[in-house]
Amino acid sequence: MSAGRGQMKLGAFLWATGHHIAAWRHPQAHVTAGIDIDHYVQLARTAEAAKFDMIFCEDAAGVREANVDIASQTSRSIGFEPISLLAALAVQTERIGLVSTASTSYNEPYGLARTFLSLDHLSGGRAGWNLVTSASQIEAANFGSTGLRPHADRYERAREFAAVVTGLWRGQGGHEGRSFSVRDPLDLPRSPQGAPVMVQAGASDEGRDLAARTADVVFTAAQTFEEAKAFYDDLKGRLAPHGREPEDVKIMPGVAPVVAASEAEARARHDELQELIPDDVGVALLSSYLSISDLARYPIDGPLPELPASEGMQSRQALVIEQSRRDKLSIRQLARHFAGARGHWRVVGTPAQIADQLEARFEGGAADGFNVMPSYFPGELEAFATLVVPELQRRGLFRKDYEGSTLRDHLGLKTPA
Amino acid sequence: MANGATMCLAVSLSPEAAPSHPPDAGPDFSLLTRFVQEAEAAGLDMVLLGDSAPVAGGPNRQMRFEATTLVAALATVTSRIGLVAAASTVAHQPYNLARRFASLDIISHGRAGWNASMFPDPREAANFSRPEGFSGDDFRLRAEEFIGIVQGLWKGWDADALLFDKSGGRFFDPEKMHLLDHKGEYFSVRGPLNVARSPQDTPVLVMSGLSEPDTDIAARTADVVLLDEASIEPAKAGDLKRRALAFGRSPEALKVLMNVTVSAEITAAPDLFADGLEECFRSKACDGFNIAMPFTSALDDFVGLVLPELRRRGLDRSGYSAATLRAHLGLAGEDRQ
Repeated sequence: MSAGRGQMKLGAFLWATGHHIAAWRHPQAHVTAGIDIDHYVQLARTAEAAKFDMIFCEDAAGVREANVDIASQTSRSIGFEPISLLAALAVQTERIGLVSTASTSYNEPYGLARTFLSLDHLSGGRAGWNLVTSASQIEAANFGSTGLRPHADRYERAREFAAVVTGLWRGQGGHEGRSFSVRDPLDLPRSPQGAPVMVQAGASDEGRDLAARTADVVFTAAQTFEEAKAFYDDLKGRLAPHGREPEDVKIMPGVAPVVAASEAEARARHDELQELIPDDVGVALLSSYLSISDLARYPIDGPLPELPASEGMQSRQALVIEQSRRDKLSIRQLARHFAGARGHWRVVGTPAQIADQLEARFEGGAADGFNVMPSYFPGELEAFATLVVPELQRRGLFRKDYEGSTLRDHLGLKTPA
Repeated sequence: MANGATMCLAVSLSPEAAPSHPPDAGPDFSLLTRFVQEAEAAGLDMVLLGDSAPVAGGPNRQMRFEATTLVAALATVTSRIGLVAAASTVAHQPYNLARRFASLDIISHGRAGWNASMFPDPREAANFSRPEGFSGDDFRLRAEEFIGIVQGLWKGWDADALLFDKSGGRFFDPEKMHLLDHKGEYFSVRGPLNVARSPQDTPVLVMSGLSEPDTDIAARTADVVLLDEASIEPAKAGDLKRRALAFGRSPEALKVLMNVTVSAEITAAPDLFADGLEECFRSKACDGFNIAMPFTSALDDFVGLVLPELRRRGLDRSGYSAATLRAHLGLAGEDRQ
């Protein structure tokens, strides 16, 4: 029943040809997505017609894969820069929220606050910023010769960065801190929604602490109900010391659906995508998420080796390792499994089966909504919008129309003072 | 006819040139859309959009939008006119700026340009964690390195690098992606850019706010240079072109535009205004003009009164004959050697 929990929030996570690593090779995938603005306008309108709360864009300030041979077998080395992409979409849509990722390591708070506020004005109060600290060496090499900062340093900088940005959005200026100094308030009018929405994705202890202080929405990866529930309860439990209520933060784990009218059809499409993953690409993707470069030297049909702690994506690494041990997966199996959904929760089945699973996590208090990561575009987003969304609406679990005009309205967030 | 040549014509909105309407916030998006669409209907080469980041607060200077996001939005409601955004080398990192403009160029199908100002504003440095500011030389050397990185990143992917070969499993040709591997005095940038090659080869580089020591940088790197009216002297444009030639470029690969502000008298004597432009153009003091509009309706007068006069004299090409900004400006095929 939805009586106790209200309705879930839904994000449409847009990413080039699709979230499945081999999506671009799917016969129906739009292979030129990374250079086709009209494709993105259509995706945004599909998501808006289905009443999604927001579009969500990932970002990295560099190519994803250092090995050029591996990179050339994926579609992820080129695409639109997301802030310009969302600014274009802002005036081609009317209601849907527009959230872009941007790094606290490779920006300055004054410029970032100003740019997102501009996006907020262009969209009439529909912008949001997904804060990341950036964990890849490839990105670091585009911003100096000193390499990736240690995890703790990145988060110290991120805490100061977030505080300056939220202050600027509230009309303040004047900051002298360890990493940043800002003299003036912003030279743009206040946000139509009070302030752009703050989203955050880091799930390490420091990431959770930062989210509890500043985030309106938390994006996370959780394979099982138990993982999702543990994260949800932990994060909501961290809010009170910061004077915040549980409903002030919406927790939206990623979900990677493959949906079709029949279960057999859905499974067949999932298998078809899995078959398109070259082994070297799958292993390389797994390596990058584990922040190690040499996974390819271990036997591909053997187990994952013991791994040292890394300065990269600590929480994501733990998730992958736990899954490999739990399911006794070989490197090849883990690589394929992981490549398909990038460590996120994958659901394959009919609209009713997928709605059942989303409902269980939502009603079970493990999620306030979901960031939907379609396997390929545009087909999988269209399938979710036309098959799963109506099923959720029929169950009273999702809105049939927008109640308000801003992203804060959609998400049920308070307007900041 | 001036040897068959026609003027390059740009327009820009300069809200600081006059009291703003309304005083609390700059023009909204629909007003800006009408302005740019009117310029496009008149066949002008480009609109230059300023960025008010350097200036704090003052109600007469306030804008609603940051320039690059505004260009992205305007690109979706226009189809032919060039769109140039100002962006500061202090407010951005070169990798991020190169990406933003490469992306704008794909969104606009080859109509984007970057206006890089060589005028250092200490107020801007104070908001970007540089309270000590920059010395003139420091700012210039840093900007020169910055521009070189951006132009290098824009060429990181060959025009035919993307294969999209689904059955062969090869998305791009590894031989056609190039690392920058820049290690300089101010920046270290490995590359490549994660945005594809521009539909017009590279976005157009406009340079403004030049002082004498910046001239060589502009002659070597700029596609378009904006000069202030006060500095009108035929020697200036000729000097820039001679220096461009010395750097191995065709003098035609560098367009010099004079900044001119529309005044209220334009309605009384449009032919006199046209006379001034014609004289300046024919004396080879410039390749065209950037007409600054103190408010959006000033464009009506320019388009309705002055432009027909320029056309009658054969000084303005009527309408667009090509798709990209580089082609509008006569820069396509004028790549440096």
